[in-house]
Amino acid sequence: MKKLIIFIISFSSFFATAQDDLLNMLDNEHEPKYVSYLFKGTKVVNGQSVELPAKGVLQFNIQHRFGTLNSGLYNLYGLDFSQVRLSFDYGIKDWLAVGVGRSSSLKTIDGNSKITIKRQVKDGFPFTIVANSGVYLKQWQYTEAEKEDFLLTNQLSYVNQILIARKINRNLTLQLSPTIVHYNLVEIKDEANDKYAIGFGARQKLTKRISVNSECFSQLNDKRNNNVLSLGFDIETGGHVFQLHFSNSSAMIDSEFIAQTTGEWLKGDIYFGFNISRVFTLSK
Amino acid sequence: MVRKIINLVLLLSCFSVNAQKYLAKDGVISFFSEAPMEDIKAINNKVSAVYDNDTKQLVFQLDIKDFIFPKALMQDHFNENYLESDLYPKSTFSGEVVSQRLGNTIVEGALKIHGKTTKIKVDGILKKENNIVNISAKFIVKLEDYDIEIPTIVMYKIAEEIEIKVNIELKEIE
Repeated sequence: MKKLIIFIISFSSFFATAQDDLLNMLDNEHEPKYVSYLFKGTKVVNGQSVELPAKGVLQFNIQHRFGTLNSGLYNLYGLDFSQVRLSFDYGIKDWLAVGVGRSSSLKTIDGNSKITIKRQVKDGFPFTIVANSGVYLKQWQYTEAEKEDFLLTNQLSYVNQILIARKINRNLTLQLSPTIVHYNLVEIKDEANDKYAIGFGARQKLTKRISVNSECFSQLNDKRNNNVLSLGFDIETGGHVFQLHFSNSSAMIDSEFIAQTTGEWLKGDIYFGFNISRVFTLSK
Repeated sequence: MVRKIINLVLLLSCFSVNAQKYLAKDGVISFFSEAPMEDIKAINNKVSAVYDNDTKQLVFQLDIKDFIFPKALMQDHFNENYLESDLYPKSTFSGEVVSQRLGNTIVEGALKIHGKTTKIKVDGILKKENNIVNISAKFIVKLEDYDIEIPTIVMYKIAEEIEIKVNIELKEIE
C-alpha cells in the first residue's frame, strides 16, 4: 500500500512540473544576446558615441552653443552670443549610418560615416566597437578663391576614430575613443598635420529618462591648445532627446574641439549649450 | 497483483503524456493601444508555443526584443523604459484548457510579463485538424497589473489597457 502511495505522489509531482517541462522544451535557442542602449544619443557630449540611428531613421539635430559663462552680466553670461550647428544623421543599415552638418561660426560643412564593427554580447564579447570617419570642409569667400595660392584641398581636414564602449551595468557605460585628426593645412610650418588623441566618455543614468554624460579628449602629440572637457545631461522626452552641456570648447565638430580648444575650465571659459534631436522614420 | 497492475497503468500513463504534443516556433502575438497622439502597436512573429493534447496544457513564450514597432524609437522606449527587456527578456504564459465547446475554448493560467505573474482567463478558439492545432484569442491586459509605469511627461500618452491578439498554428511533434 505504501508503495502505491509513493507512486501516486511521484505521479502527481510529475504532473505539477509538466507545464515547466513544456516551457523547457521551448528553451533551446542560443542566439547571442546583444547588449543595447549604451548611450541615449548618437553623441556622448560633442564626440560620437557608439550609438547609430536605427535603419531607416532620419535624425535631425539642432545644436546651440552660447558664449562663455565668464563674459559678464553685460553679455548675460554668454547668452548674447550663440552659434549653431544643424545636422542630419541617417541610418542606412542597422550597422551603417551617415551624417552631414554645418557649423555657423566656423563656416564648416562636415560629413561623417559610422560603422558598427562588433557588438557587446551578454556573457560574450565585452565591447561594442564602432568606426567613425569624418571630413570637414571650411567654406571660403570668392575673394579668397581668386588668390594664387588658393587650394581647395587646404580647406579640408579629417577625423578617424575607433569607438570602444562597454556597458558596465544598466546605468553606467564607459567609452574609449582613439582618434587621429589630420589637417591638410596647419597654421605654422613646424606644426604636425596629424594629431593623435585619446577620448574618454562616460554615461551614468540618474533616472530612467535622465543621464549625466562626461567626455574628455587627451592630445598625445604636438599639443598647442587645451584638452577638451565636457559635461552634459541627456533628458529623454519621448519623441526627442534634449541635451544640456557645459564645455570649454564652443566647437561642435571633432576636428575643432579635439585639438583647437582654447578655453580653460578654471578661468571660467565655459560654454553652455544644448542639443535637440528629433527622429523621423522614413522607411522600415 | 492488483497493486502491480495499478503501478503499471500509472507508469504507462506517464509515458503517454509525451504522445500528443503540438509545437510552434513562429506564432504571432501583437498588441494595440489607442493613444491621442498616435496608436501604439507592435507585432512579434517569433512566438513559440507547446500544446499537450492529453493534459490539455498550453504554454507560450516570447522574447520582448522580438516585438517590432513601426517606429524604431518606440521600440527603443518599449524595451529600455517600459518592459526593461534587459532585466526581463522573456514573457511566458503557462496554463491549461478548462472548458471546450465546439471551437470556443477557455484557457486559464499564469501570464508573466515584466517579471510579474498574474492569473488570467482567456476566451479563445482552439481548433484541432489532422496534425495541426490552431489557436487564436484576443484579450486585455492592464499595465498596472505588471508594474509597468507610465511617466507623466511623455510624447506618446499610453493607455492603461492594452489589447493583445494571439494567432498561432502548432504542428504535431513526430
